[in-house]
Amino acid sequence: MNKELEHQFVTELESNQNIVHKVCSLYANNREAHNDLFQEITIQLWKAYPKFRGDSKFSTWMYRVALNTAISLYRKSKKKPTTYDYDSVVYKISAEEYDPTEEQQLNLMYSAVRQLGDIDKALVFLYLEDKNYSEIADTLGISEVNARVKMNRIKTKLRTILNP
Amino acid sequence: MMDELDLLKKDWQKKEVNLPRLSYDEIYNMIWKKSSSVVRWIFYISIIEFLLPHLLYLLPSFRDEMNYDFARQLGINNWIIALTIVQYVVAIYFIFQFYKRYREISVLDDAKKLMKQIFRTRQTVKHYVIFCLGMVLLIFGVFIIGMALDENLAATLNLTTENVDPVQLKWILIGVMTLAGILFTAVLAGIYFLLYGLLTRKLYRNYKELKRMEA
Repeated sequence: MNKELEHQFVTELESNQNIVHKVCSLYANNREAHNDLFQEITIQLWKAYPKFRGDSKFSTWMYRVALNTAISLYRKSKKKPTTYDYDSVVYKISAEEYDPTEEQQLNLMYSAVRQLGDIDKALVFLYLEDKNYSEIADTLGISEVNARVKMNRIKTKLRTILNP
Repeated sequence: MMDELDLLKKDWQKKEVNLPRLSYDEIYNMIWKKSSSVVRWIFYISIIEFLLPHLLYLLPSFRDEMNYDFARQLGINNWIIALTIVQYVVAIYFIFQFYKRYREISVLDDAKKLMKQIFRTRQTVKHYVIFCLGMVLLIFGVFIIGMALDENLAATLNLTTENVDPVQLKWILIGVMTLAGILFTAVLAGIYFLLYGLLTRKLYRNYKELKRMEA
């Protein structure tokens, strides 16, 4: 029974692991921290798995656990990385799509998003993942109106960074 | 004009192919690793804080000198025993409350509720620590009163008083005891608040931000 649960969980996580990697890519600054956070999220997911009843999709359930871990539970390791060196690894662009101005803009945007606070990052992340405001509000525990207001403020902030 | 963030969204979804990929076995091994979450740390540190006042009694010198001989000589033994019983009863109550709160923490709650729950759990320990610090001060206080009421403190403590005035000696001893009590409490409080503050700094910042959003 337990073996079956393990197998079921690992299989599901394996096929949905992109969600966790994306959270890590926003909240961790280097490869080591990425792996560290991935592991912590995996542990929290596994701990909460018995309570997952399948009334929502596995992936939907993952968003909440992953974000809660990144925002509230995860303790960053003391080593403070000085560079965001691994952006280039995660967000490498294939040569044929390369557009210097757009690429530059996007890079600016990504580094701007990385500079946001934990909560703002969560909002942006859910937005990028195409979640609607009611889901965003529900995940963070704020009202939908406030989620919209906050999102508009973040957009303005990012726009200023892009068009100084 | 296209929203900057929508531009980013388009790109974000395109880049999925470049994300790292872990194998089944790598993930399987991860589920058996120990969590290093802040909640786990709070749990460990709280347990230490619950045990600490009791561990002090295990030190032979602390137990014998402080609580039995000295107290008996001063005639305040019954007071100390009563205070100790109260302390244990209250400690058991707090441990029970703490465990109940700790069990209530769920990663499945929304972010704000989760943080609130963590703080409430921690609050229980905070109250316990304040209670313990109060008890430490009270016990010192009982000793000081015992010393002050003692007619001949130097004789009680078998101290030789050839060169000093016994009354003066008594007040010096009381002064030392008072200073020790305050210092001891202050150091304990300092360690506690530093530890707790460092542990929950990030959490507190995020919680404040979520609350500010609702204001």
